[in-house]
Amino acid sequence: MNYSIFIYETAEDFAKRSDPARLEAHFGTWMKYFEGLRAAGIMRGGSGLMPPDTATTVKLRSGQRLVEDGPYADTKEQLGGFFMIEVADLDAALDWAAKCPAAATGALEIRPNMPPMKQD
Amino acid sequence: MQVSLLIYQSQGAFAERDDPDRRAAFWAERIPYYHAMRAAGVLADAVGLQPPATAVTLRVRNGQRIVEDGPYADTKEQLGGVLILDVPDLTAAVDWMWRFPGLKTGVVELRPNLPPLAASGTPLAEASLEKAG
Repeated sequence: MNYSIFIYETAEDFAKRSDPARLEAHFGTWMKYFEGLRAAGIMRGGSGLMPPDTATTVKLRSGQRLVEDGPYADTKEQLGGFFMIEVADLDAALDWAAKCPAAATGALEIRPNMPPMKQD
Repeated sequence: MQVSLLIYQSQGAFAERDDPDRRAAFWAERIPYYHAMRAAGVLADAVGLQPPATAVTLRVRNGQRIVEDGPYADTKEQLGGVLILDVPDLTAAVDWMWRFPGLKTGVVELRPNLPPLAASGTPLAEASLEKAG
């Protein structure tokens, strides 16, 4: 089954990304994690996201364009990235999610994906 | 550059998407949009998510797994899918964002992607420090 895993990170973990003293260790841990996913042959895509303050949120209501700076969800942890994996079942997805570097400080949302859309 | 469009949908939109009688209308609105993106060569990846009720949220604290049913964010609209766009600049991404057919009932969050993790931490450091537009 195909799952998406959304990575919700603490402000502290986001701060490590731009702290010269900590960023190499921080990204090194993530690289090892994703190398493990790739080595297992289950990685199906995804991306890291720039920090929440780079977000723009938009909607249309009664024909009016509404724009807000910042992410949609006003939550304690914030979305820092997401990835998709192909695994046997939810237990396997949870096993991989539990090893994710953000699991011990932030939170992970695991959601089954819809079947891919037809290309034509 | 690559950006992610995070699509937050109303309960009504999820219901429409999963209702055999209304599903066709739901996709009829969206499929031309995805086709236009593909034709323009800007759609790098796309994923649709099963409804929020299928979500599980996991934390690990002191080595113990804490698993909760449901999505992480307790928001009115809920994440329904993600589009990754490959565009020349942020303006192009914003143009595509405004064309998204679900904007009348949903919400779209745009976020620039981090560059892929490289062997050296240096390029990433610069990328993280740089504010996008």
